[in-house]
Amino acid sequence: MGKTVGIDLGTTFSLIAFVDPSTGEPRCIPGPYGETLCPSVVSLDANGTIVAGEPARRRLLTQSNRTIYSVKRLMGRGVDDVRDELKIFPFRIDDKSRGVIRVKLGDKYFTPPEISAFILRELKSWAEDFFKDTVDRAVITVPAYFNDAQRQATKDAGRLAGLEVLRLVNEPTAAALAYGLHKQRRGRVAVYDFGGGTFDISILKLISTTEGDIYQVLATNGDTHLGGDDIDNALSAMARAEIEKKYRVDFEKHPETVQELRKTLIHTKHKLSSGERATIRFVLPDDRIYTREIRRGEFEEMIAPIIARTMAPVKMALADAKMQPSEMDEVVLVGGSTRIPLVRKTVGDYFGRAPHSELNPDEVVALGAAVQADILESGVKNMLLLDVTPLSLGIETMGGVVAKLIPRNSTIPASAQELFTTGVDNQTGIDIHILQGERELAADCRSLARFQLKVPPGPAGLARVEVKFLIDANGILQVAARDLRTGEQSTLEVQPSYGLTDTEMERMLEESIEFAEQDFEQRQVIEARNEADAILRATEKALSGVHAEGLSREERAAIDRSVAALRETVSGTNYKLVRTRIDELNQATMNLAEMTMNKVLQAAVGGKRIEEL
Amino acid sequence: MSSTKTQTGAALAQACWNCKAVAGGGHFCAACGKIQPLAGGADYFAFFGLPQKLKIDEAELEQRFHQLSWKLHPDNFVKASEFERNLALERSSELNDAYRALREPILRVEYLLLREKVRKEGTTKQQAPPELLEEVFELNESLDELREAKNDGADLSELRGRLGEAQKNFQEKLEEVDAELLDVFSEWDKTVDAGADDAERHKQMAKLNEVLNRRSYIRNLVRNVAQELEA
Repeated sequence: MGKTVGIDLGTTFSLIAFVDPSTGEPRCIPGPYGETLCPSVVSLDANGTIVAGEPARRRLLTQSNRTIYSVKRLMGRGVDDVRDELKIFPFRIDDKSRGVIRVKLGDKYFTPPEISAFILRELKSWAEDFFKDTVDRAVITVPAYFNDAQRQATKDAGRLAGLEVLRLVNEPTAAALAYGLHKQRRGRVAVYDFGGGTFDISILKLISTTEGDIYQVLATNGDTHLGGDDIDNALSAMARAEIEKKYRVDFEKHPETVQELRKTLIHTKHKLSSGERATIRFVLPDDRIYTREIRRGEFEEMIAPIIARTMAPVKMALADAKMQPSEMDEVVLVGGSTRIPLVRKTVGDYFGRAPHSELNPDEVVALGAAVQADILESGVKNMLLLDVTPLSLGIETMGGVVAKLIPRNSTIPASAQELFTTGVDNQTGIDIHILQGERELAADCRSLARFQLKVPPGPAGLARVEVKFLIDANGILQVAARDLRTGEQSTLEVQPSYGLTDTEMERMLEESIEFAEQDFEQRQVIEARNEADAILRATEKALSGVHAEGLSREERAAIDRSVAALRETVSGTNYKLVRTRIDELNQATMNLAEMTMNKVLQAAVGGKRIEEL
Repeated sequence: MSSTKTQTGAALAQACWNCKAVAGGGHFCAACGKIQPLAGGADYFAFFGLPQKLKIDEAELEQRFHQLSWKLHPDNFVKASEFERNLALERSSELNDAYRALREPILRVEYLLLREKVRKEGTTKQQAPPELLEEVFELNESLDELREAKNDGADLSELRGRLGEAQKNFQEKLEEVDAELLDVFSEWDKTVDAGADDAERHKQMAKLNEVLNRRSYIRNLVRNVAQELEA
């Protein structure tokens, strides 16, 4: 069995973390560039290879039609849900996609879970390189306000990436866990989580019991389409309008320029978090330069409406928790967008206290996920998360009205039973439509699934079928039906409204195995190359040392031949051949290694890694 | 394996799925400690080991909820068999459902009456209690006038004043009915303590239902007036 990790699958960045057994503290695992933040960007090569993370982000500028960012916005949604966003985001979507959206990268179509799986796979490889061991289980975080379909899509992504998803944990709850661990906090905590694409507010109660600490979520609210992205878009809209007017640049003809401008403006946004003013300087396609100074006040005026949109959910969450803003013992800020001074001020003013942000707001969610992963994996429990379902669950009844079965902010797992019968003689099926949301009419709520209960023909009202709706600890719905007259458990064919069907999932799993094989090959090549480099360096060093003089002419010639042969193959992709040449060089240098007292050389030719010394 | 506690026949008869001993009707088998399936027709009071009484120490209930959460939460069963994982899922959802139903007095009495089939789901009588008929009539007239005046853009201050008074009046009535409800709670609890017969139980439950309906009617009035005044 491999390792277990915690993953924050973010809109803009994703992170992977684990609990270090030597310290008992969670920490993030860095990638090949030393950064813990992995850009949530995926790109498809001209030759059909997928890249994710930093290399993909660089392609946003050069190959924007083969590259996608902010895919989290599409998770668990249908084409009609995202029409508005398509005006702002450069997603290229198959207009005919029914149910699950299909996004075009180059000339291929992918579903959002598949694209997210590429990001997860990238993170998984970071961790596997770090542990030198496989990683096969994970806790993945989701916005607290994610609905059933968005959660299911995230779980599917985990499975496609070869991960068993032990639990989906809500992002603000994960952050609270990391903070609680950090400071041994008690009392009522508000977590304000403003990320790249989503906003969540959670009100928690931290309780000490003899068994350990309980993190009980009292209420949660949010907006799964509100985040730093919107701020970037507001800045972009301003700059684009100015450029179009003054320089007559047609952005439609320059998709790469749009991305480049966006990148420049994100940089401007960051500068305005610490400075009072920033200068935008942007080279246009015709080499003219757009330059403009922006003061923080002007920026704040521009983004004030976006930040104001976070306050309605905050008020609703407090009302549901039956609490006043002043009753909070702590306010915690999470997510990159909380670095913006106006956000901190707005939140601080509302709660009447300075918010906390001691922990890195980018990392804190992943750290909390790692803590939960460790709890589930080790079975050592001194912390318990009691989370809630963010949206009410109901079924459609007569006249398109929703009957609520499980109210929002119910602690999960939660369940409800409902009894169904037939309305006309010889009816053989009862249609059930499951919805999520707070509105009265089915048309205004989110459709989760439709299915038909099969009943044996008979007089109206004779059938008695009990349906059990159960929301599990991941916030995902399960449905089971039982015929009360026969006691038989009926099988349900639940057709998700915006999710992958079992058949689609199977096909994707098969494809993902192909990708996994590709990945495996690539990893082997890289590892063989690294080993070859190490042994070549060590040999060179030994040959230049005094002990090399003791080598016979034949031995020296054999070493030189082996070195040359290894050098020849090392840049290729035939890792098996590289391994054979490494073995040959090992053989040839055996005598040299014995003669040399140099520990580094001995270790290297002995097949050990330098960093193990 | 024998238990000296008095248990219901159904619970006693249930054998543990794992060790086949008499499971004892608790959350876990008294003999081998394995989590047990839910018996049909569960009673949320019994789930917490409580009698069916309506006056509950809410802090104590919360404490029981937390203790059971430590034991029953799916976190404890991540490495257990699929069968046990499902039992834990069912039982922990029942725990949360039970706590949600019992933690607040109004929801608690509603649950009791629904369970005892004195009340039907989603049905509250929307008939005005006879003693309030006159006042409700006046209130509705004032509300109509307010809506009309709003449409005509007329001066609302006098109407608002009158409705404000009515709102205060009904708010007081709500407090009275809440106090009355607490009294009926006590009476019911005495009935439970005395182990009264079905006839007496039903008499008490009918009373509970009547007060509950009256309360829900008045609360709706207060809410409607508040909405009209705000809008």
